[in-house]
Amino acid sequence: MAVNGSGDGHKRLPVYDESELTYEHPLYGAMLSVPGLSVGVTSIDAILNWGVMNSLWVFPMATSCCGIELMAAAASRVDLDRMGTIVRATPRQAEVMVIAGTITVKMAPRVKALWDQMPEPKWAIAMGSCAISGDFYRNLYAVVPGIDTVLPVDVYVPGCPPNPEALMHGLLRLKEKVALRRAGKLPPRDDRPDRLQVTKPSVARFLDPARDPAIDEQQVESALHATDTDRSDEPAAGEERASAEPPEPIASSQPSDLEALLRDEFGVAETAPKDGAPVVAVERHVALARRLRGMGYEIFTYVVATHFPEKTGKAPAPERFELAYAVRSVGKGSKVASWRLKLAPGEAAPSLVGVYAGADWQEREQWDLVGVRFAGHPDLRRIMMPENWDGHPLRKDYPADKACPPWR
Amino acid sequence: MNATSAIIHGAVYGTIICVVILTGIAVAIWFERKFAGRMQSRLGPTMTGPVGLLQPFADVVKLLQKEDIVPRDADRGLFDLAPPLAAIASLGAAAVVPWSPKIIAADLDVGVVFVLAIGGLMVVPTFMAGWASNNKFALIGAMRAVAQSVSYGVPLVLATMVPVVLAGSLSVSGIVGWQAQHHWFALWPIIPGLPAFLLYYLAMLAESNRIPFDIPEAESELVAGITTEYTGAKFTLFYMAEYVHTMVGSAVASALFFGGWDGPFRPGLHWMVLKTLLIFASVYWVRWSLVRFRSDQLMALCWKRLTPIGLGLVFVAAAFVQFWPGGAR
Amino acid sequence: MEMSARVERAVMTMNEPQVVTVQYQSAVRGNVDPHLSIRHYDPEADMMLLHFGPQHPSTHGVFRMDLHLDGEIVVKATPYVGYLHRAVEKLCEKLSYVQQTPIVDKNDYVAPMTNEQALNMAFEKLLNVEVPRRARWMRTLFAELQRIASHLLALGTFSIDLGGALGGGSTLFIHTFRERELILDLFEEVTGMRFHYNTHTIGGQRHDLPAGFDKKVHAALDIIESRIPEYAKMTVDNAIFKDRTVGVGVLDGKLALELGITGPILRASGVDHDLRRDAPYSAYDELVPRVRVETAGDCYARTRVRFDEVTDSIALCRKAIDGMPEGPINGYKPIRQPTMAKATSGQVYVGIETPRGELGTFVVAGGDTPTSPHRLKIRSPSLHALAAIPYIMPGATVSDAVAILGSLDPIMGEVDR
Ligand code: SF4
Repeated sequence: MAVNGSGDGHKRLPVYDESELTYEHPLYGAMLSVPGLSVGVTSIDAILNWGVMNSLWVFPMATSCCGIELMAAAASRVDLDRMGTIVRATPRQAEVMVIAGTITVKMAPRVKALWDQMPEPKWAIAMGSCAISGDFYRNLYAVVPGIDTVLPVDVYVPGCPPNPEALMHGLLRLKEKVALRRAGKLPPRDDRPDRLQVTKPSVARFLDPARDPAIDEQQVESALHATDTDRSDEPAAGEERASAEPPEPIASSQPSDLEALLRDEFGVAETAPKDGAPVVAVERHVALARRLRGMGYEIFTYVVATHFPEKTGKAPAPERFELAYAVRSVGKGSKVASWRLKLAPGEAAPSLVGVYAGADWQEREQWDLVGVRFAGHPDLRRIMMPENWDGHPLRKDYPADKACPPWR
Repeated sequence: MNATSAIIHGAVYGTIICVVILTGIAVAIWFERKFAGRMQSRLGPTMTGPVGLLQPFADVVKLLQKEDIVPRDADRGLFDLAPPLAAIASLGAAAVVPWSPKIIAADLDVGVVFVLAIGGLMVVPTFMAGWASNNKFALIGAMRAVAQSVSYGVPLVLATMVPVVLAGSLSVSGIVGWQAQHHWFALWPIIPGLPAFLLYYLAMLAESNRIPFDIPEAESELVAGITTEYTGAKFTLFYMAEYVHTMVGSAVASALFFGGWDGPFRPGLHWMVLKTLLIFASVYWVRWSLVRFRSDQLMALCWKRLTPIGLGLVFVAAAFVQFWPGGAR
Repeated sequence: MEMSARVERAVMTMNEPQVVTVQYQSAVRGNVDPHLSIRHYDPEADMMLLHFGPQHPSTHGVFRMDLHLDGEIVVKATPYVGYLHRAVEKLCEKLSYVQQTPIVDKNDYVAPMTNEQALNMAFEKLLNVEVPRRARWMRTLFAELQRIASHLLALGTFSIDLGGALGGGSTLFIHTFRERELILDLFEEVTGMRFHYNTHTIGGQRHDLPAGFDKKVHAALDIIESRIPEYAKMTVDNAIFKDRTVGVGVLDGKLALELGITGPILRASGVDHDLRRDAPYSAYDELVPRVRVETAGDCYARTRVRFDEVTDSIALCRKAIDGMPEGPINGYKPIRQPTMAKATSGQVYVGIETPRGELGTFVVAGGDTPTSPHRLKIRSPSLHALAAIPYIMPGATVSDAVAILGSLDPIMGEVDR
């Protein structure tokens, strides 16, 4: 837990210029100008601060996993209500925005708008590594590397996810910060480890008043040796072990009548190729889907577009796209029937939406992320990325850490 | 009592009652949060003051110093007017509630009508707020509130008519006094006191927007309903108005159906406060254990069930007064 | 125009929105039109466009719907996803096989165990790794415990949608969270994390069960089981709860199949399909689960299925922990460096039954480096569940819209990945 700035001998975090951000209610200014009242200002300040400190209402900017821990913090084990913190659904009635979760470039403008809708005085808590820095998504095209690039953050609560207790500690630290607000000071940096005792839940852990020390030993033991069961095929130092046997092809698990169908009706020469599912001609593909649907393969499972960039050198290969499809039969002994299409760059695949309505969003996703067109799709828009996004991120030539000003 | 002394009496007691109710509301909010906490196996506020007692005061101190935001496209005049109006409308009805034979701000001859009229007024600021906010969630909330208040006004009136008919008086203290001499209406065997109280209770929940009838606010659907755009002090007024409305509703219920200040051993004030608080607490008991209705179900419940029942009750009460040997009076 | 005919009926019948029937029949016939243009709508009727989300208390994360409202009746609902697109698939292409488990944990953050399981099972299939029996049983135990936790959370959030954060809904929500904590404690005992466990690896498990774990599992399950009647009183047996859910958001079995919906939602629509029983994996060939099917396909049926599955999973967990075989917990080489798992070619798909339906991992091996996949795609059940919204929303009121969304129990991390 670190509060922005302060503390000597530590590397300073970038601090927002607080003087520009302070807000005073107009009545406060009027009050100060009343002669005589200003004498009592210190105690009035104390009362005003006390009010804010003890009533930090939270606006949950909960986007993902950390949001679940935010909910858990409001639930019975930690209970934020103890310190008077309740969760308000509207930004107009909250003081603290808790950004819990990954903020993507599509979401960031909304977060900013919501932040601007909150009335002063307001604070922000970045909960979890995603909100602090982007976590391991930091260098990916879609993720904002830390919410403090968008709005001023007061308290950082690290963790992935931080425990509910940690969030409560964060709020208590914020309380300290609020207390010093009018004095224009920042609370001292929290260095003493014993300070953390504040957050230890006083409730006894579940069924665990006295934990058997043997458990810990065993845990350590098993963690050390968990993967030691079989060292026989461990490669000797320096030796690169060849890859395992060629994988089991999917087609082999398909019923023989499916193979026959593919061979006889759809002219597939190789019904169980080594590198994946059988390849079907682009024109016959919708007919095949229709046929499979009639045979009881009723659930659309997936369509995956893969980009194979142009290869030069020893085994040159042109740039191409591959679409893998699978459908699943319903009920006992459920099976997957899969096939593939090979496409040249720019070639469109016939859409399956007419056969399986479930293909709708998956095809949109593949168009959005890989850039394969689906002819006859009723609504081929981007689905994951913003409408005006440039390029198709899952192509191999697309840089993973592409910039997206102003958000990343 | 001449006019001047009536005015002085009203002003003194009115102020005292307002102050007491508002303080009471603060305690009630604390009580609700603790109560909800216990229902949910939590603790509720503990850190602010002893056992969290100062929590509502901290909330108010905080809310009053928040920035006051008026959305650009809001209807400024209405937006500003709605919260004080809500507070006034909800507090106004407290005027005719007899807290003891003496403590009553204005002992009107038509007290019951006054309570119903002022309570019914709550819908105006609610709709004003929803409309003026220029927010779609607030607007939907306001439309729901209007539909709900107007509909549930009918069973509410019918339910209050039962004690009026039985006691033959439109004055709240008159009804209480009548009950002191006979029985509390709620203790009347099945017909018609107790059903009338239950009907009143349901309609009161609806009128004061409490779960399971809290669709105008419905924070899981409409974010915060009519108060979505309100900040700081204005929101505080709405927040208080809601509690005052429930509190006054409970007080009226205990006066009309539970014999108000009537009771053995203790002074009337104690009994009145005790009864009011019990009814008030039961509202929160209901609130924290049920989910809410949908708006069309609410309407159906009101017009198809409660209103016919209410009419039937009034009819039975009238017949009772008319045909009971010697009359109920 | 079918659209306008449909809408007129919606306006007239506020109490019983039957309009849904018309629309999904057309979908089943093959001419799918969730993309109907709203321009054909009768201009005399007043219509309001309500942006619902991406930040809204009931959207279960960052999901957005555009609701076209006529009064309170939803005329058209357009879902938008992608607000949590974290580029997981791109990240997985960069990382090696052994590094990916903690990444996919974050997809379906309510049931991380099953995420890991689906991913590692795909890798095992790709690398032809045999999983020891104990590890398979452990996976089953974890998956079922996770199912309990996930369904409890679904039940809690659903009742928040119905009853509000300041009301009865939150009471049930907090109670289910209280019980969920018991399961998180069990997982914490094994893995050291409350969620995001990183405990599955290629070929088995990373952490063995600690001593005395079976007693704790039983104790936790006892507590949860004893609380189930209480939940029933507040949800499935509660009159108001029934009023709010019965007949709301009816999803026909055929349409559900057509949309690729799986899991409890499909079973609530009367389709008897559960991968645990129909295509057994891990230890489900020995521990056969009971499959709950409801026929109504409405919000109540979906809740009912989840509710009953909690009971079933408790029984299954008991069996799994009691019959837990001894033996090694990993059938693959010990993990020494991230680049140890290699595959040069092959494409595999493995789908398993998570609390939300069929979660699958499709891996294309090879590419530039043999240690990481060329392409990895996660087939997410929630994505398909959300695709049902344009079909089942029209005709519902705003309150119903919230209930329907809650009953679909989407997890946006998994939808958007
Ligand atoms: S920090 Fe971890 S737990 Fe929190 S949102 Fe990011 S990935 Fe999820």
